[in-house]
Amino acid sequence: MAASLFAALRGIDTIQVGPVGTLPFASGLLDFIGVHPVRTGRWHPNPWEAIAQLRQDESDHPYAVMTTREMRTAWKQMLAFLTDSGLPYVAHPERNMRMINPVGTVKLTYAVPRSMMAADEALRRRPPCLLVDFAGLKGFSARQIAARLKLHWPALRTTRLPIPALEGELQPERLARFLERRDHCRELAKAIKSRLAGAQAVGLPAVVGLHRAGPHFDLIQRRLGVPLFEIPTLLPSVPGRRLLDTFSRQLPRLGVRTWYQYAVKQAQIRADGALHFRIGSAADGFWVQSRAAILATGRFLGRGLHAERTAIRENLFDLPVHQPDKRGQWHHKDLLHPDGHAINRAGLMVDARFRPVDKDGAPRHPRLFAAGSILAHQDWVRQKCGSGLAITSAYAAVAACAQIPRGLEGTHAP
Amino acid sequence: MTTAAIAYSALCIAVLGSLGRIGRWFWIKIGPENQEAPSLRAAARSFAATLKAVSAAGLRRPLRSLAVDTLFQLHILKHDWRRWVMHMALFYGMVLLVVLHALDDFTLKPLGVDYMPTLNPWRFLRNLGGIMVLTGVAMAVWRCRADPFRKRTRSLADRLARTFLAAMVVSGILLESVQILSPAIFDAMVDDYAFSDDIQEIEALKTYWSSSWGSGVTAELPTDDAQILALGQEMHAAFCADCHDRPQSAFLSYPVSRALKPLADRLDRLGLEGLLWYLHFITACLGLALLPFSKFFHLLATPISLMVRAGGPAEATAPALRSVRRAMGLDACTHCGVCSQHCAVAVIYQAIPNPAILPSEKIGALKRWTNDAQSPVASQLAEGSFICTACGRCTQWCPSGIDLQDLWQASQKDLVRRGRGPAHHWIRSQNAAQWASGAGSKPLNPAHQAHTLGLGDNPETFWACVQCTTCTNVCPVVAVAEDPHRDLDLTPQQVMNLMRLQLRELALGARMVWDCVTCYQCQEHCPQGVRVADILYELRNEAVRRLQPIAPRAQGSEDAQGEA
Repeated sequence: MAASLFAALRGIDTIQVGPVGTLPFASGLLDFIGVHPVRTGRWHPNPWEAIAQLRQDESDHPYAVMTTREMRTAWKQMLAFLTDSGLPYVAHPERNMRMINPVGTVKLTYAVPRSMMAADEALRRRPPCLLVDFAGLKGFSARQIAARLKLHWPALRTTRLPIPALEGELQPERLARFLERRDHCRELAKAIKSRLAGAQAVGLPAVVGLHRAGPHFDLIQRRLGVPLFEIPTLLPSVPGRRLLDTFSRQLPRLGVRTWYQYAVKQAQIRADGALHFRIGSAADGFWVQSRAAILATGRFLGRGLHAERTAIRENLFDLPVHQPDKRGQWHHKDLLHPDGHAINRAGLMVDARFRPVDKDGAPRHPRLFAAGSILAHQDWVRQKCGSGLAITSAYAAVAACAQIPRGLEGTHAP
Repeated sequence: MTTAAIAYSALCIAVLGSLGRIGRWFWIKIGPENQEAPSLRAAARSFAATLKAVSAAGLRRPLRSLAVDTLFQLHILKHDWRRWVMHMALFYGMVLLVVLHALDDFTLKPLGVDYMPTLNPWRFLRNLGGIMVLTGVAMAVWRCRADPFRKRTRSLADRLARTFLAAMVVSGILLESVQILSPAIFDAMVDDYAFSDDIQEIEALKTYWSSSWGSGVTAELPTDDAQILALGQEMHAAFCADCHDRPQSAFLSYPVSRALKPLADRLDRLGLEGLLWYLHFITACLGLALLPFSKFFHLLATPISLMVRAGGPAEATAPALRSVRRAMGLDACTHCGVCSQHCAVAVIYQAIPNPAILPSEKIGALKRWTNDAQSPVASQLAEGSFICTACGRCTQWCPSGIDLQDLWQASQKDLVRRGRGPAHHWIRSQNAAQWASGAGSKPLNPAHQAHTLGLGDNPETFWACVQCTTCTNVCPVVAVAEDPHRDLDLTPQQVMNLMRLQLRELALGARMVWDCVTCYQCQEHCPQGVRVADILYELRNEAVRRLQPIAPRAQGSEDAQGEA
C-alpha cells in the first residue's frame, strides 16, 4: 500500500496486485523504531537516536541503507496522506509516544491516530482515569489492562457497559458499525459520563466508528468533557480496518489500479530483460509488462516467503533468501530469548537501491525492487519497527524505481 | 340422424365442459385471500362477488379490450409481427371455417343469401380459411423448432391441438378434392338433377365436365370436339350452373384433385369420399368436444382473461375476485412460451433441468398441483417457484393478459402454507446441531458433487485460515444480528473452522450459511485469501441436496399437521 502511494505521488503508472494482506491485523499504531538493541531491550524515546545507533550496530539492517532525509520525507508524505484522507495521524517529529497495548503492556510508537493521542499524555501524568469496555466484546478487557498498569497507575478504574441492542459475542467491527450512528454515540457518552466519578481521562477500545470515526470521537469527548483516548483491540482491529479503507478508497483516486482479488500467478524475466506478470483470479487472468516491480509481498503470513522443510524460499521469483544454514538454527531453543529467533531475520538481501541481490551482492534484476517485512536483517516485531520499515523502505524503493527511464510498461493478452 | 346426434353430443360436451371449467374458476382457491374449503356455497359467494366487482367496473374497458386485444390482437402486433400473423391466420381462418362452413346451416342459410357450398365466394372463402389455418399451424411448428426453450418444453397438448387443426383442414381439402373428382358423385348428381334421357346429351355433359371442370368422370366422346363441348356447356347451364361454380376457385382442393385424377375410378371403388367425410366430421366433432378439455379452451378463457385484466391489476381488484382471476389465468394460458423467452431466470433451466423454472411450464405445474396437492409435480413446482426473482417480465409480455406475477406470488404463499417453502424457510425448523444429526445419513450424491466447486473437499481451501475472525468482523449479517449465536448458530470463521476440521455436517444447517447475503466482504477482506463466501454458497447448495430429503419431518406445514 505504501509503495503504491509513493509511486502514485511521483506520477508513476502503478498497478497493485494481491490481497489486502495483513493490514486488517494492524493495531493502527505506526512504529518507527522503539527498541535497540534487541538483546538488551532498550527503549528509545527518540527514534532518530535509535536509528543512528542501529546503523552503527547493524550495517545490514534496511534502515542502514536509507538516508535520514528519505525517512523523514517518507513519514511526512504518509502522515499528510492519511490526514488529508480523513484519518488524521499525529507524531512528534523527534520522539516516540507511549501507547497502551490491548493486553495492558506499554509500547513505544511513532505515529498514532488522533483518537489515541491522549493516551501518551495520560500514561505520563497518570491522572484518575476510567477504562471502559463492553459486555461480550472480543479481544479487549479493561480489567486486564488495569491489572497490568495499576501498579504504576493506581488511579485507574474500569467499568463494563452493556449494549442491549447487541447481545452475545461482540466483534470490535460490529460494535464500530453500531457506533457509526450518532445517536448511539450520544447514548454511549451519556452512559460513560454517569460513571465518570471524577475521572480526568477516559480510555475506550478502538471501536468509535469506522468511516465517521473522527466526528464521533469528538462528539463523545465533547460530551464527556475530559480527554478521551482509544486503545487498540486485538486483531483484527478497527484502526487497521480504518487504514485499509482509507488506502482502498484513496489509491484508485490517485490513479493506482488495484487488483486486490487477484494474485501474480506467474512472473517472468524475459530475454530482453522485460518483466512480465500473469495476473489472475480464480476465474480469469491477464498479462502485464512492467517497467519495474516492487516486491512488497510480506513474510510468511503474507506469502512473500515460504518455509519448506529445509529452507525458506521467496515465492514469486525464487530469489536468494538470507537464512540460517540449517533448519535447526531457525529458532532459538528458548522461545522468549532476548536475542529472538534467526528465522525472523531471514528475508531478501538488497543493495543500496533496494534491489534483491545474490550472495555475492549482485542485483538479480536491474528493475526489480523489494520493500517491507520481506527484507532480511531486521526483526520488526522485537525492534518495534514494522510500519516504519514498510513506509520508509517503500519510499526508498520507489525513489530508486523512479530513476529508471520510462517505457516497456503496458498490458497485453496472454 | 346419427351424424346429427354425434354433432349435438359434441356440442353438449363442449358446452357442459366449458361451464364446468368456468365453474372451476370459482371453486378452486389460489392465494392467501380466501382459504375456506371448496364448497358450492363458497363458489356461489365467489361468483356473486365476481359479478358485483365486474358490474361495478363497467363494460367500457372490457369491451375495448375485446375489440383491441381479441379481435385485432394489437398487443401481440406491438411486440412481434410474426406472432401476430400466426395468431390472426389461425383465429380468422378458424372463424371463416366455423361460420361459413361448419355452421352454414345456422349462419348463411337463415340469412337467405344465395348459398351453396360449391358456389363462390363460399368455396373460395372456405379454401382461404383452410390456407390461413394451415399457415398458422406451420408457423407455430416453426416457432417451436426455432425457439430452444419451446423445443425442449413442447407438450402433448400443443402437439394435439396442432394435429387436430391440421387434420381438420387437410381432411376437408382432401374431401373437397375427391368430391370434385369423383365420377360416382357426378353420376349421382346427373341422376338427381339432369332431367334428360338423351344419352348424347349426358355424354356431352360428361365430356364438358371432364375437360373444363376437373371431374374424373370418363368421357366417351372426343374432348376436342367443339360441337360436343357446346352441347355439354348447354346442359351444364341448364342443370348444373345454379349450384356449381368453376372448381378452380378451390385453390387448395382443385390442384389436389388434378393430381389425383388418374386414380379417380380407383378412389371411388375404395369409397374414399365416404371415408374422408367421416374423418373430417369426426375430427371436427372431436375438436369441438375436446374444446373444454384441451388447449382450445383458451379460445374462451383468454378473451375473458384479457377483459378482466382490462379492469385493472390484481392488487387493485376485490380480494374475492383475485382468486378467480388466478384460476382464470391458468386456463387462459396458450402455452405460447413468450413468458419463458423473457424470463429473467430462464437461463437457470440450462443448469437445473426443472421445467417449472420456466413460467410457461410453471403454470402447467401449478394447474396440476391445484388439481392434486399430492401430485409429484409439487416438488418441481416448489423449486421452480422460488427461483423466480419476481421481476414481472412474464406479466409484462404475456399475450393472454395473465397477471403471472400475481399468480406466482399467490402460489408461493400457498406452497409455503403447505410446507413446500424455499430452503431458507424449512431450514429454520431446526438448528445446526439438529440438522447435523440427520445429515450424516444423507451423504452428497456423487452426481451432485460434480456440480460443486469442490472447495469443501479440498484441504488447500482452508490450510491458510488462521481463525483471525476478519470474516466475522466484516460480515454485515453478523453486524445486524442481535445475538450472532442465537440468530446465526455460527459465525463465518466458526463455519470455516468446522470445514477445515471436516465437520461440515455441523455447518450445513447453520443459519449463517442461509443468511449469507453473498456480499463477499469476508472473501475480499480475508488476509489469507480463503474463499469464505464461495464456501458458504457451496454449503448452501450441498444442504439443499442433503437435507431436503429429511426436511418434511421437520416442516410445520398445514399438510403435516393434518396428517398428524
